[in-house]
Amino acid sequence: MTESASDERQFRRSEHGSIGIELELQLVRARDFDLARDAADLLERLEKRSLGGTVKPEITEGMIELNTSVHERHGPLLDELRAMREAVVEEAGILNLYVVGGGSHPFHDWTERRITPSERFNMLFERYGYLAKQFTVFGQHTHIGCRDGDEAVYLVHMLTRYVPHFIALSASSPYYQGEDTSFQSSRLTAVSAFPLAGHMPFVADWAAFLEYYETMRGFGIVASMKDFYWDIRPKPEYGTIEVRVFDTPLTVERAAQLATYAQALVAYHLAERPCLPTPAVYLVNAYNRFEACRYGFAGEMVEPYAARKKRIGDDILETVAKLAPHAQALGASAVLGELAELVRHGRSDADWLRAHRGKAGALEDVVRESAARWAGEAGGEA
Amino acid sequence: MQLGYLPQFPPALTQPILFGALLAAGLLVGEAVRRYASLPRITGYVLAGIVLGPQFSGLLGPDALETARVLIDLSIGLIVFELGFRFDLAWLKRNRWLFVAALAECVLCFLAIHFTLLYLGFQALHAASAAAIGTATSPAVVMLVAHDQRAEGQITERMLLFTAINSIFAYVALTLLLPFLRMEQAATWTLAVLHPIYLLVGSVLLGFLACVAMLGLARWLGKREDRQFVLLVALVVLTVGVARALNLSVMVALVVLGMLARNVDRRHALMPLRAGHGGQLFFVILFVLTGASLDIDALATAGIAVAGFIVARFLGKAAAIYAFSRATGLRRRGAGLLSVALLPMSGLAVVMLHDAQTLVPGLRQELAAVVLAAIAILELVGPVATQFALRRAGETRPEPHDD
Repeated sequence: MTESASDERQFRRSEHGSIGIELELQLVRARDFDLARDAADLLERLEKRSLGGTVKPEITEGMIELNTSVHERHGPLLDELRAMREAVVEEAGILNLYVVGGGSHPFHDWTERRITPSERFNMLFERYGYLAKQFTVFGQHTHIGCRDGDEAVYLVHMLTRYVPHFIALSASSPYYQGEDTSFQSSRLTAVSAFPLAGHMPFVADWAAFLEYYETMRGFGIVASMKDFYWDIRPKPEYGTIEVRVFDTPLTVERAAQLATYAQALVAYHLAERPCLPTPAVYLVNAYNRFEACRYGFAGEMVEPYAARKKRIGDDILETVAKLAPHAQALGASAVLGELAELVRHGRSDADWLRAHRGKAGALEDVVRESAARWAGEAGGEA
Repeated sequence: MQLGYLPQFPPALTQPILFGALLAAGLLVGEAVRRYASLPRITGYVLAGIVLGPQFSGLLGPDALETARVLIDLSIGLIVFELGFRFDLAWLKRNRWLFVAALAECVLCFLAIHFTLLYLGFQALHAASAAAIGTATSPAVVMLVAHDQRAEGQITERMLLFTAINSIFAYVALTLLLPFLRMEQAATWTLAVLHPIYLLVGSVLLGFLACVAMLGLARWLGKREDRQFVLLVALVVLTVGVARALNLSVMVALVVLGMLARNVDRRHALMPLRAGHGGQLFFVILFVLTGASLDIDALATAGIAVAGFIVARFLGKAAAIYAFSRATGLRRRGAGLLSVALLPMSGLAVVMLHDAQTLVPGLRQELAAVVLAAIAILELVGPVATQFALRRAGETRPEPHDD
């Protein structure tokens, strides 16, 4: 721990603007579409296949995590994600399991979950008790490369303004424990219960951040940077900032789009430096976050720099327009165009899930349809 | 003094008294062996049955057992239906080796027992009948252990899948042997051939019709778990009754009903089956009664033949499972655990043996002793083996209030 902690102080320079994704996924059994507990068997099978990225266990036995390698552009990232999806779906099929996206499993019972046996997960269960099992929710963590720690701190402050965008665009957890929560994303509520959830303090630069970190370590509150469950955090050992508020979407295509959106935002802020960090971002954050979780695109957010309210959907569309030159430079104009379409038609993954419950009637059917959609089967679109 | 309002003494053993006492005795002994001997509850139920049964205390006489026959049928019907309902054709399509492995398991197990008995000097037809009966794993035992331990995972799923397939294989094999056994008894040729056809076609047809009714009604009822559960129980009980009335196979009709309900339901009208506490009642009754009807005396005759039967049965199953473990995607060390989990033999085998005996009286002496002794041993050892295998596989869940 201490060794890695001292390494953590070094911000590893990485290719600036590069992207990588970690996707937490649901593993469900074919019999009743409830969460399975065969992650270990699936991982054993996947070890034998050469994938671009890696697949890892997660805190409970019905979860796996796909990690892509580092990419410069949307195209290769998506190719790799698709190849990984294919491998995972195929191997899961051998074990009679389905892989499903979405921020929450619609009807699993958290008391039924079992902690993946490993030192770290046992320690988390020991420490957090039932929160560890309730933490069976599924997020997309997106890494964006930075040149140094100061840049990372700046970008965390800047991107926090867009947290409601990230939530609304990825929202895919309307159901939780068998109920319609009326939220577009219920997942973040499960994250908020942790004592170190929230956001990075308003520090000026990397030196100030390290001072804060050392103070917290001195108090014995954290042992490593991994203990901060922030919405956006610096990740010095990768040389990235990590956006953690996305729900895992229902498709790899959406996952790649979301990462590209974050990449374009980073490019825009680094190239134009349109504004200076302000603590106002953090004053409005909790309110904005709630609006986005509850209402998605229809929610209203406070624009901290203009001190006025705006519809989240409108703000996304304006932002996409502003990003146009940078998106073009990244070869991602079409990708952002697709996200804008999504906003215009009000069709988030959460809406898709609700529509499919209406058609089918039972939450089991929603999971079955989601599994088909994740696998990229026909009928999965729209 | 007129005391006519008092009942006669001792009071008559009415069915509710019998039923309640069975439940209570099973429950208490089951819990006791779990707490004090770390054995599976089922072993306790069976022990309670043995103690209550005709060969020990005689509290449950042959008459009581005959009355309780309907309870056994219902329990087996529900269990076998669930077994069929968990049979997933889509899985076999994605993992074709799995079906090959399950068939190989049946065939190798059958051949192993058959040749062992031949070697020990049994007559070919009788050895084949015993081998057919021995191929089946007890659906009730594996299902109850899986429920009781809340087991989830690859070994559990494969154990249930293999059990469904080897139960059907055993029944079909035995039924196909019937004509030859009949011929031995100098029955007419037409009778010998028509009867198996009636049994197999009739049972499958009954399962099919029940499935059509079940899916139609489920669609009309809509997706409500409570209503659908009542529907399932109603149709399962009805099918059991009709199968009995028509002298068809309860096991085949119900397994077919379950399998079709699961795999033909293209519009997904049926909701997944979730076991409630109701199922537990039937399990207790079933195993207490199985214990009561166990032929403990048969154990006395246990000898080389019985040992050979049990060992050959295990090796036949294990050989097939090992041979195909990689191809079917079983994890390392999974093959051994799955082989052990498939050991149990019980009620179903008793029923098959009973049916074979009624049809072919000559079977009794030659063979019955060996099979009955094997059943008696595996009835006691089997649950322990299955529970051990699932625990070792890490697929069971400790009880929240375990001491």
